Amino acid sequence: MTTGASAANDTFIVFSVAATAYALRSQQVQHMEMIDQVTRVPNAAPFVDGVVFSRGQVVPAVNLRVRFGFERAPYDVRTRLLVVQADARQVGLVVDAAREFVKIPVTAIQPPQEALAGLSGKYVEGIVSLNERLILVLNLEHLVNFSEPLVAA
Amino acid sequence: MSEPEPFFQGFLDDYFAECDEHLAGATRALLALEASLGTTGTDRVLIDELFRDFHSLKGISAMVELRPAEQLAHHLEDYLGAIRDRKVTLTAAGIDVLIDGTQRLEQVVNAYRSHQPPPSIDDVAARIEAIAPRPVKPDAGPDRVAERRAPEPSLPRWRCTFVPTRELLARGVGVDNIRKRLTEIGTIIDAVPHVRPDGTIAFQFTLETAAADAIDALLSDGVVVEPIDSTAVVGDAPGAVRPPGAGSTAAPTHIVRVDLMRLDQLMQNVGDLVISRSRLTEALTRLERHVPSSEWRSVQENIVAIDRQLRTLREGIMRIRLVPIGEIFRRMPFVVRDLARESGKKITLDLQGQGTEIDKYLIERMLDPVLHLVRNAVSHGIETPDVRIANGKRPEGTITLSAFTSGETVTIEVADDGRGVDAAAVAARARAAGLPVPADTLDGSALLALLCSSGFSTNDEADRASGRGVGMSVVKSTVEQLSGTVTMTTEPGGGTRFTVELPLTLAITDALIGRVGAEVFALPQGAVQEVIEVTSSDVRLVERNEIIPYRRGALPIVRLARLFGIDSAVGERFHVFVVGRGAAAVGLAVDRIIGQREIVVRAINDPLARVDGISGATDLGDGRVVLILDPGALATFVRTREARAVGAVGDWGRLQA
Repeated sequence: MTTGASAANDTFIVFSVAATAYALRSQQVQHMEMIDQVTRVPNAAPFVDGVVFSRGQVVPAVNLRVRFGFERAPYDVRTRLLVVQADARQVGLVVDAAREFVKIPVTAIQPPQEALAGLSGKYVEGIVSLNERLILVLNLEHLVNFSEPLVAA
Repeated sequence: MSEPEPFFQGFLDDYFAECDEHLAGATRALLALEASLGTTGTDRVLIDELFRDFHSLKGISAMVELRPAEQLAHHLEDYLGAIRDRKVTLTAAGIDVLIDGTQRLEQVVNAYRSHQPPPSIDDVAARIEAIAPRPVKPDAGPDRVAERRAPEPSLPRWRCTFVPTRELLARGVGVDNIRKRLTEIGTIIDAVPHVRPDGTIAFQFTLETAAADAIDALLSDGVVVEPIDSTAVVGDAPGAVRPPGAGSTAAPTHIVRVDLMRLDQLMQNVGDLVISRSRLTEALTRLERHVPSSEWRSVQENIVAIDRQLRTLREGIMRIRLVPIGEIFRRMPFVVRDLARESGKKITLDLQGQGTEIDKYLIERMLDPVLHLVRNAVSHGIETPDVRIANGKRPEGTITLSAFTSGETVTIEVADDGRGVDAAAVAARARAAGLPVPADTLDGSALLALLCSSGFSTNDEADRASGRGVGMSVVKSTVEQLSGTVTMTTEPGGGTRFTVELPLTLAITDALIGRVGAEVFALPQGAVQEVIEVTSSDVRLVERNEIIPYRRGALPIVRLARLFGIDSAVGERFHVFVVGRGAAAVGLAVDRIIGQREIVVRAINDPLARVDGISGATDLGDGRVVLILDPGALATFVRTREARAVGAVGDWGRLQA
């Protein structure tokens, strides 16, 4: 990718959690895999499904449904694990589905509106309307800051 | 100072390594000097050694432009020079100043290493000046020669490259020695350190001299000499200049410096191989019945060969990571000396097995615990001379710090011949601190459990003064994090011995595999004393804790299914892993044991997945994560549950609290 292209367009991985579309910058996603065998970790945080091996590393699998305040759903053939890299950490995100790899012009990303009530907001960096579809662009640093709840109580 | 670039950082690493060597040498010499003081007159050899150490420290500090270290080393060197030249006599006060100066020098270097502002050297420098004759004007290290003698342009110039090695250093040939000899031959125009691609460091001197023959004498000491084509015309054609960094400049060296990260990576690769091998074995086992047994035999033989070769490979890499435990031990003499003096005690520190090699990773983590145990021995173990004499002992106490390996275990012992642990006093103080104390006589392990309770040592004035806040509880938890154990034996009036046992290496280990419901766990085999099969009818309830008869006593057990909230239909018979010794023994109950395996330990680094009671993760060949239990943390949980006499089922949450 040339610098010129990256200035105009960013490539994103689009995935869905509880029927909402989200996007993460593709360079923040190390890889994506089918999910099977997650090992439960006793007394881990409620939104942690467990741990998996990802290329030799032990990586926690964070269930984004639970993290976003929805009910946990059983895994199915569409469930994916996105392994993301934030700072020095490697975290797996369990999402309902992830199939798209899209280019989004930087200028198309709008700041989140006040109307997004109920969210603490920080982890949504912007909103894109792509082909009549609304996609929330996520801020990975805030998303993996697990010390504070994402969803307002 | 700006952020060091990688080039300079590599150079600094060597600087620090060399500082450590010289400071350690100075420490040894000073302590020997102090011991010999007033007996046979001042030991010239030791004075010379010290002088050389400080001289080198001055030179190398100048090269990295660490001025406070350079100046302080210079002061110390001057004072020693005066002693050597018999201008002043070395007194006990003088040794104090030298020791304080050495320690301050170490602090300055350490501050530099951790990017902290250096402590002031003014007070120590003033003390040296007060007892030493006025030093000559401080010189500017390697540049001084160039300043003193103006270079004569007509002389030919030579590039002299010196690569220090351990072998050369052992013969007394270091960069200072080379610089000195070059100075005798001619004029050093400049001196530049270079880090070479293999990580070693090369010092490049530009020398101006007419005496080319004299340089040849340096060749045998690993100096590579090349003529430089400059304004001064040299007989050789420019083509004769060998390119720097080519094979020709390699001094004879058999030591390479390796970044620990690279070794970790290599170990990880071997770990991957071990896992692939177990997957292969698993896959092959499924094929076995389809293959004629004559064919199968050769497959089997190859698997066995691969097994053996993998083990050899892994042991080879493991050995590379090993460093002598002397790195920890040699820091102790100063500590003991200072503490002994403050408390008016006389103590001999006996170091044994300094050459014992342990994993570099363990060295870094064991420094503070060993330091604490040694401080403890001085503060609480050894009595004052009059008390010792009154008890019929020699006035001088002995602390023995020893290390040895047996099999896959390394043992570190700190023993003193002091007063021993006063069980009654410990019990009284524990009660006063609100800690539960068993009613019966306290043996070593029960006493240790009390000493290691948080809330015990921190209340102690003496500990606070001597222990720098690192209590026994931290010693214990550090050792347990490293999958090791601490035990203590003590004899009233006879002394105390702390024994720390650690696995030699952490990356690959033998483990027992147990099943609880649908979950599988691994337990390091070294931590398991015994595996017993228990029948449900053997289990008794005592204050709602489960115990089983065990070796003429009772063993508290904890069912992992309940602890972890796992659904499991407990059968009539189940297996118990016995971990911990004596009164600290605890049984961890699993549904059944699956087997014993060599496992690759993967660290769990992410805080989201790191919980007490789990020390790591492994893969048994099917790609699924299997958690490795931390027997130390689990046993501690069970013991504190007992001591608090709280409810029947320990829930996992309380372990966290």
